[in-house]
Order: sequence, then C-alpha cells, then structure tokens
Amino acid sequence: MKNSIKIALAGNPNCGKTTIFNHLTGTRQHVGNYPGVTVERKTGFFNIGDLAVEVVDLPGVYSLANSSPEEKVAFNELMTGDIDLVLNVIDSGNAQRNLYLTTQLTELDIPMILVFNMIDDATERGLSFNFKMLSGFFGAPIIPTIGSSGTNLEKLNAAISEAAAAETPRRPVKPKYGPVTDMAIHALSEEVEGRQPAHTGKLPPRYFAIKLLENDPIISAMPEFDGLGEEAAKWRDRIAQRNGINSETLMADVRYGVISGACREAITLGNERRRQLSDSIDRFVTNRFLGVPVFLLMMYLVFMFTFSLAEYPMGWIESFFMWCAETISAVWPAAALPFLRRMLIEGVIGGVGGVLIFLPNILLLFLAIAFLEGTGYMARAAFITDGFMHKFGLHGKSFIPMLLGFGCSVPAVMATRTIDNRCDRLTTIMIVPFMSCGARLPIYSMMIPAFFPKEFQAFTMWLLYIIGVVIALLTALLLKSTLFKSDGEVFVMELPPYRMPTLQSILILMWENTAMYLKKAGTVILLASIILFIINSYPEKSGLAAQYEAEIAAVAAQPELTEQDRLDRTAKLRAAEKSEALSYSLAGRIGRGLEVVLKPAGFDWKIGSALIGAFAAKELFVAQLGILYAVGDSDTESGAEHLQKELARSYTPLQAFCIMLFCLLTVPCIATLAAVRKESGSWLFVGAQLALYTTVAYLVALIVFQAGTLLHIGTGLVG
Amino acid sequence: MADNTISSSLEDYLEAIAEIIENNGHAHAKDIAERLSVKMPSVTNALQSLAARGLIKYSSHLPVEMTTRGSETAAVIRHRHGALKSFFSEILKIDDFEADGTACRIEHVISDAVLSRIVVLADAVRSRKDCAPLREYLDDAMPKVSAEGDDLAVIALDKLPRHVSAVVVSVDENLRGVKKFADLGLVSGTLLRVEGRAPFGDLLRIKVMGSSLSIRAGDAMHIWVRPVE
Repeated sequence: MKNSIKIALAGNPNCGKTTIFNHLTGTRQHVGNYPGVTVERKTGFFNIGDLAVEVVDLPGVYSLANSSPEEKVAFNELMTGDIDLVLNVIDSGNAQRNLYLTTQLTELDIPMILVFNMIDDATERGLSFNFKMLSGFFGAPIIPTIGSSGTNLEKLNAAISEAAAAETPRRPVKPKYGPVTDMAIHALSEEVEGRQPAHTGKLPPRYFAIKLLENDPIISAMPEFDGLGEEAAKWRDRIAQRNGINSETLMADVRYGVISGACREAITLGNERRRQLSDSIDRFVTNRFLGVPVFLLMMYLVFMFTFSLAEYPMGWIESFFMWCAETISAVWPAAALPFLRRMLIEGVIGGVGGVLIFLPNILLLFLAIAFLEGTGYMARAAFITDGFMHKFGLHGKSFIPMLLGFGCSVPAVMATRTIDNRCDRLTTIMIVPFMSCGARLPIYSMMIPAFFPKEFQAFTMWLLYIIGVVIALLTALLLKSTLFKSDGEVFVMELPPYRMPTLQSILILMWENTAMYLKKAGTVILLASIILFIINSYPEKSGLAAQYEAEIAAVAAQPELTEQDRLDRTAKLRAAEKSEALSYSLAGRIGRGLEVVLKPAGFDWKIGSALIGAFAAKELFVAQLGILYAVGDSDTESGAEHLQKELARSYTPLQAFCIMLFCLLTVPCIATLAAVRKESGSWLFVGAQLALYTTVAYLVALIVFQAGTLLHIGTGLVG
Repeated sequence: MADNTISSSLEDYLEAIAEIIENNGHAHAKDIAERLSVKMPSVTNALQSLAARGLIKYSSHLPVEMTTRGSETAAVIRHRHGALKSFFSEILKIDDFEADGTACRIEHVISDAVLSRIVVLADAVRSRKDCAPLREYLDDAMPKVSAEGDDLAVIALDKLPRHVSAVVVSVDENLRGVKKFADLGLVSGTLLRVEGRAPFGDLLRIKVMGSSLSIRAGDAMHIWVRPVE
C-alpha cells in the first residue's frame, strides 16, 4: 500500500477536465508555466484518507502527437513524469472523438481510470452506454460523473485509492489494430527493445514502435532509434497499400476504426434524439448575416460591464491610497528621514497605487472573459472575426486581445493565451499595445480641447484610435509576411457546445489572473516607481528650497495683499519651485539631452522629460507636464484648465497632434512590458517590441511634423 | 434437383451453344471459343462437364448437340437473360451493351422467385394502360439519372452543400497538417455535415462525430467526401 500517488489528468479540450480538477483539489492548486513554454501548468494536492494525492492537470489535447506546445507538454509529462495513474476525462456526449486519445493513453501502459464526464448531457441526448463492455475493452474502470455538480466524484476517489492499494496494478488493454498493423508494431517493438532512452524506462517498447510507425517527428528523431525510421516507413507503405489508406495518417485511421467498433457495440443512440440546443444557438450566433451584429453586441456588453461597473471600486481604491498618503504624511514627521518619507508617499503609493487603481478593471474583464470562454462563445467570436483578421495574416483568435487592448494592454497581452500557434501569438502580443488603451485617454482629453476647435475634437479623437488600429494591423501584416511567417501549423478550431460554466471555475480563473497582476504590481511596478521617483527628484538643487521659502516668506510679509492674493502667489511659487527642481533633476536633464533628437518631431525638453514619466505609465504624462508647467495640482479642474492654457501658449496644434501620436504609439507602460516578458518568455522580444514602438512612434511623429510644417497645417499658436 | 444446378460459367457455355445452334444449325468447339473469347482447352473442359451432366452430346471433332434436358435448361437461362436485359434496357433505360453485361452477371445469382416478379413488373409497366403516365415519366426521368449520378460521386468538402451529410472518402496526403485533421476524426469513413460558413470569410463550420469544428475552405478542398441520403 503506497501512501502517496501521482496522477495525471488527461483529456480533450472542453471535456470538463478543469472542473474535475477544481473539484478534486479545491483551492489547493499551484499554477505556473511548464519550463520553456507558456503553457499553463497546474498541480494540486488532496488526500483520500491517508493517501496523499498529487494531481497534474495536463493541457487539453486531442492526441499525443507532437504538433503543438500543449501536445508536447502532455507527451513529455506522461513520458518522463513518474505518473502512477492516468485519469482520462471523456466528454460522454462525444465519446467517439474523445476515446481517440484514450487509445493512445493505453499504449503508455500506465494504469488508467476513464471518467465519463457530463454524463447527464449525454443521457439527455438519448445516448446509453454499456460501461461494463467499454471497461473491458480498454482494461480500465469507468466512472460516469457530472463535473459541474460534483456527482459521483466520491466514486472516483474510491477508484483512485483502490488503484493505489492494488499490489499489481491493472494495466490497460492494448487495442488490436488489425493483422498487418499488429505485425508491424510487433516487429518494430523487437527492434526498439533495449534501445529506448533511459529516462523512459517505464514505458513499453511497443509505445515507441507505434510512435515510429506514426512517423512522430520527435520520437523518430531520437538518436537511439537511428535507422529504425526506414523500417517503419516500409511497414507504413505496406499497411497503407493493404488497407488503402494514407500512410501519413494510418494510425489515426486504424484507431478510429477500433473505436467505431467498440462504440457500435457499447454505445447506443435512443430513437428520441433531441436536436441539440447548441446547434440552434449557433444557427443565429454564427449566421452569415446575424453573426457580426450579435458579436458586436456581446463586445459592447463586455465593455459596459468592465468599465462602468469598475468605476465605483476604482474610486474606492483611489481614495484608499489617498488616505494612506495623508495618514503617513500626518504621522511621519517631515523632518525624520525625509528621503524615505517622500519615496514612500510620492514614489510607492503614487506609483503602485496608480497601477492598482486598474485592478477592478482587470478583475471584471477577466471575469467577462472567463464567462465567455466557459460558455463557448469565445470560439464563435474567433469564427466570426476570422475573415477580417485573415486579411492581415492573423486569425480570429487575435481579435479578442486586440479589442481588450482598447481597455488595457496588460490583460490584452495575457488574453493572447487562447492562441495556440506561437507565431500568431507573438504577432498578436507585438501589436496589441498599439491599440489605444484607457491610460492614453487622459492625454487626449487634456490636449484635444486645448488645441482643436470644438467641431474637430471628436474627429481628432476618432482619428487617433483609427491610426492605432491601422498601424497595429499593418505591423501584423508586415510581421506575418517576414519574421513570423508560419506555414507549419494549420487552423482547425473546435466550437465546443454551449455550456453554463461553474461559478467555481470562473472564480478560480479570475483569482489566478488577479494574483498575477498583484504580484506584478508588487515587484516590477514597485521597482519602476521608485526609480522614476528618484530620477524625478534627484539631484536636488542645493539652496532651491531655501530660496523659495524666502520668497514665500516675503509674500507672506507683504501686508498690502489680500488673503486670496497671498494664497495664489504662494501656490504659484510652490509650483515654480517644483518645476525648477524637476528641470534640475535627472529626468529634466535627460529631457534636455533628448531635445536634440526630439526637436525634429516637434518636441521640446519639457515634453521629453514628461515622456520619461509616461514611459512608466501613460497616465503620468499629464502629471509630469503639470509639474513642468508649474500649475500645481493638475488633477483639479482649475489646474487642468490652467495647464491647457499654458500648453496652448507654448505649442502649435501640429505639435500637440504629434505629441499625442507619440504617446499613442509608444509602449503604454512598464506593466505592459512586464506582461509581455511573462507571456513571450523572452527579454529579447521585450527589447524588440520597445525598439519597434519607439521607432514607429518617432518616425510617425517626425513625418507628420515635418509634412505639417512644410504644408503650414496647424502651425499657428491658438493660445 | 442438386445435379441440375450448374456453375455460372457452365450456364454461359450452355447459353452460347444454344444461340450458336439457333444461328448456324450446329456448334463447333471453335465457334464457342470465339464467341466467349476463351481458349480451346477451357472449352473442351466445359463441354466434357456439360456432357457428363447429360446436357449435351459431345465427342471430339463432331459438332455439339443439345440433349432435351440441355435445351430446356438453356431455354430457362436465356429467358432469364432476356427478361433481365429487357428490364434494364426498357424500364431502367440503360443502354444495350451495359444491360446485356449486367444481365449476364445477375442471371446466375437471381432466384426464380425474384426474377418472375421482375418479369411481372416489367410486363405491367410495358403494356398496361394505366401505366402510361409512368412510362412517360420513366422515358423522361431515367436518362437524366445517369447524368445526376455524377453528382452523387465524390466531391471536395468545400463544395458540399449545407446540411447535407457526407462520408469522408479520402484526404489528400499532401494536405498541410493532415495528421491534425486525422486526429480530430477526419479520416475515411467519418460521417460529417457542413453547418455553415463564417461571415465574409473562408471558414467552414462542420459537424464531425458530435462536435463542431471550423476549418478553412482552402483545407476542405483537399478532403474528398461522398454525399449520403
């Protein structure tokens, strides 16, 4: 009797595997990535009596071939992962397709339990199963379950502990594939015997024989099996000729043959076959004419949900951080450790708080995504938008991330996880930040009214959004026809039946993403905020404070001023002090240094140093400008109006437009870069993205500014 | 009765002999060999078998003669052949050559019970007054069937009309990602149905083994199916 067991949860996508996993492990899960790939790796722990169980949730796959990252991961885990028991989850309503994976799992010779999930759904559709016969056929116990309600999971636990307790575990039955095929497998097994790699000791030679026969790219390339490829090819041709089938797909052919034999006897379809609800919904939702309007409506609802519902909690978070800052500055005397005090209040609370404000947005967006994904609509959305996206070398699955990009680039980059093909995924990650995100909106809403007549304001805003989309699509087109050209993979997508996702799975998914975001806020963004605070504040000009204090004291001493005047002048002096300090600081100096480069694009040093702040987060651009133009608090209404007046006096509409273009086309924030690093798994990719965005932004601003100057468009000051 | 049954090839010989005698008055082994396009030794063999069963009189160098039983058997065979042939050519409107060949193959396996009913049906359609509209319909419809028959043959999946079920016949081996399609069940023998197309796109939505898949029309071009129903 073992007291611990490691089991792997395997199954097709959309078979309800994750629901079973969540039910088994509760909240004791650990989420990470498989080394080297961005496929999610989930492990969980639970106990059945004294038995400690570790569950590995393998990615959902249709086959154990090696044609996608998910399949490779599942394949490797099963090959080398010391798995004691495989739980094969099967969508009972679609057993024939799901059992295809089962036939491959039996080859591993690892004890197996078949979980016929969603059995209620299948019975309702008129299917009835002879489990005894099927169980005998595959040599594995069968537990019918309903994952969403947890029905029969206690029987599953019992089967697991029974399998763990068995002295000689029951091995699955290897299917017979017909005389010639079996002969080929036998002959190849003998060749493999003794040659198979050491780390795969548990697996039978027969498994490798079949993989060789299948011409599996990875197994066939193993140096241990050198020379066996030709023999396998000979057998392949012989079988293909004999059975009149494709030699490339012969194992698929014979496997489906075996399954259809098993299903014909063990699964019967009652007379009363209810038309599937799913098909009726699809008739509308994926309709050639109705599909697009329905899709747009759904997206509108998602946006409504995310952005309007998030308003209140965002307000609460904001006031919470304001309260924190006020409390600290009240409790912490200004004289004690002034550097740390300022860093905590201005750097940490200002920076991290500014990012955490978006937490409700992210939470709700992921809730909406998890819901759409869980119901099965996401696949339809990809189906609907594919035609349009295909023109730019992408496909339907890239649409959702791009759309989310209008909200916030961070969840948008994370949402690219649904794209299987790595090239397509990287392309999408590359272009998503071009979509004008919510954080850029404050820049537009400050600049546009200051420089453009009322009748053109909406148009200018619209134009900026469109420019973002057009540049994103053109970049995709360019990347897909050069760097990320991919012919290797084909597009086949399953449209899973519509289902109501369980609350538990949605909440778990939401929590995972939120935890990731919080972790990032606590690390990368915290660090970046501190760095920015430092370059914004240091070096300090010595005597500056004393000089302004003296002037303020002088203002206070003038008895002829009214109380109001005194306050105004004091505020102005304080703002001027800040401005001068910033221009003396590292950020100010960098801004000046950049002026040489930025001048041809129409920017002066103030814009340059504001852009450094904007690099951390676009929201900071307005705040930085506010400091530089010494308007004090730019958040208050009068402050914003004041700043707009100042800007209109200093820049032409053309310059303003170029500034906005530049802000639109540069990387939105450090948080985005951190997300890109995580999702792409490479700093090089982050560097390339940063370089691309900066170059594009600079060139576009440069061209627009030079062309505008030449043609005298918007070159006159309006203020 | 048991010794009365002879193999289908012997039936062909007997039929040929009867026809040759009817045309020429007598039948030599050489004529028989020519008519059936077989070699002389096979003819000799067959004639000996027929003689052993008492259906013909045969000794080498003399023309073959029919016994009474032989003539009766030959008459039955020729009647069957004629009835089947006229059914194929006059009712089903199949051309003479194919009608003859098909009759040749079927006459050996068809039972008298089935054949006599076919004969009744054929006679009725041919001569009954109340069958006149049916005759007109057959004259009109049957020749078109062969033309439509080509449509029921194998077509590419992207040409399959909506909501028509079809069986996969073959998948081109040079289709990109052929294994992936096979893993999802697109192998010969699988039943599928086209459910629709994506808006302004080249994606097809197909139903395979209880699940909905979407694949590109460009890939569907390489999947050959035969419509059923």
